[in-house]
Amino acid sequence: MTQYIIKRIGWIIFNLLVLSLIAFILIKNVPGSFLELQILIGQAGTMGTGLTISEVEKVRGVETEMMKRWGEDVPLWQQYLTFIKGLVTLDMGPSFRWPTQTIEEIIANTFPVSFTIAILAVTIAIIIGIPLGVLAALKQNSWIDYLVSALVMVVSAIPNYVMAVFVIFLFSFWIPILPTYGWGQPKNYILPVLAMSFGPIGSIAGYMRTSLLDALKQDYIRTAWAKGGTERHVIFGHAMKNSLIPLVTILGPMISHLILGTVFVEGMFGVPGMGQYFSQAAGSRDYPLMMAQTVIFGLILMIMNLIVDIIYFFLDPRIRVSRR
Amino acid sequence: MGNKKRIGRSYWSNIWEKFKRNKLAVFGLIFVCILILLGISAPWLAPYPYDEVHYEAVWTPPCREFLAGTDQLGRDIFSRLLYSLRNAIIVGLGAQSLIVVIGLTLGLIAGFYGGKTDNILMRIVDIVYSFPSYLLNIILVLVLGRGYFSIFVAIAATGWAGMARLVRGQTLSTKSRDFVEAARASGAGNNRIMFRYILPNIIGPVIYSIFSGIPGVMLVESGLSLIGLGVRPPMPSWGLMISEGTGQFLYNPYMLLAPAGMLVLTILSFNFVAFGLRDALSARE
Repeated sequence: MTQYIIKRIGWIIFNLLVLSLIAFILIKNVPGSFLELQILIGQAGTMGTGLTISEVEKVRGVETEMMKRWGEDVPLWQQYLTFIKGLVTLDMGPSFRWPTQTIEEIIANTFPVSFTIAILAVTIAIIIGIPLGVLAALKQNSWIDYLVSALVMVVSAIPNYVMAVFVIFLFSFWIPILPTYGWGQPKNYILPVLAMSFGPIGSIAGYMRTSLLDALKQDYIRTAWAKGGTERHVIFGHAMKNSLIPLVTILGPMISHLILGTVFVEGMFGVPGMGQYFSQAAGSRDYPLMMAQTVIFGLILMIMNLIVDIIYFFLDPRIRVSRR
Repeated sequence: MGNKKRIGRSYWSNIWEKFKRNKLAVFGLIFVCILILLGISAPWLAPYPYDEVHYEAVWTPPCREFLAGTDQLGRDIFSRLLYSLRNAIIVGLGAQSLIVVIGLTLGLIAGFYGGKTDNILMRIVDIVYSFPSYLLNIILVLVLGRGYFSIFVAIAATGWAGMARLVRGQTLSTKSRDFVEAARASGAGNNRIMFRYILPNIIGPVIYSIFSGIPGVMLVESGLSLIGLGVRPPMPSWGLMISEGTGQFLYNPYMLLAPAGMLVLTILSFNFVAFGLRDALSARE
């Protein structure tokens, strides 16, 4: 097992290097730059009067100065090495757009927010989704099953940015009890978490239903019935326990997807999370921040997958035996 | 030759028989056909051009003149919905075709040749699989510029890995079957075995994967256009219309409900077909 984990960590490092290289090459080729954008905004600010020649000269001077400060005056491969060194030593320098904050500070501030929301949303989805799925599977082909299945389908087809509007309408306008904007208090978490949890509820309930139905057909369940097990014993002791295992595999990707895949919901509720910072960084061509966030998010994704595999290893005795 | 054709037909009629029994799936298929027809004929069906502004009729609720109302510039929402549908279908089919071409070829090669080729290809698949796809989508669209083609490429660049994995697994289990050996014994070359013998036998799961992938692609496109990286305005997209409607929900709810409803309806119809296909395919085995 230790050997397996070490091997996996080795691959994670390799994958991260490839990811960082791809992200670096792509981002260096994005048309337009932060400075160009700032100059354009500046020109727009003077309402088309344009800059005089001496001012253009001044801008050029500032540009070379800024390039030097950001380390963009050296060859590309050197920039890449500096970027990697910054990642490893956790010293990535200031962001373009938020020059008073360093990149590691921004990530350290935004990651916990996004992570908390993702974990809360998944927790709610588990608490609601699993019983729904179990109910549907136990009453297969009854009206409860059809109702749950229909709900699962509809809910998982509605994107969370539409859900967010409905949730706001319901709890801030119709029954005005929760704030739609602001940050810092526990009650600010409720609406974004709620808006994000609907999709996961749908997929967890659907997954639970199929996996429990599958487990109920297995031979060991028949054996348990034959041995005279009670309903509670057979269903919750044997079938449920085994049908929960495949669920673990979808939780990892689900959490990492929720951490960043929710740019819109974060924007809507003014949540200072990773997703919102990424879309703003992309909009203003803040390259260092974009690159760092891409690699960090890749790292989160890979670690989640590793954790899921390790949990799976301990939960499923079949894998433990086959790997030995 | 004639013999092989007959077998091919029975494979499909088998699946079709199973598929037909699932009412919801048939319903979904009919809906998908209608939606595709609507999308194709959008330029002729739309009562107004998608970018024609009617300043005298901004924020008109649905009425006889404007079937789904007008937006903040007085553009007819019904026409814009039709064009958005068209865009979503173009993006869905285009990106999925690219995914199929890349994933099918690499998966077949990896599964068929095995050994070193398989190891290297699957390592690449693993790497792509662990990428944060949504972020790379955003970056790729920034690099390539906005437009249909760059959205196809951006989505396919990260999406092909899943297809390659599926095809490889199917190829592995198919290539050891007797008819492949028989084909080899009768002198068929590698390419012929791959594309004429193995491919027709694994096409079922591939088609399922295409159908179940289209809604995801449509959601990615709508997400991209929500943050201003989808198809270029004034060309409408559901994501853009939803973001315009979000702020108007209290005053003009139809501006949000119309695009959101169409998006959900389209995704549901594709999902129903996918579920029906999955059941029909798994019942066969």
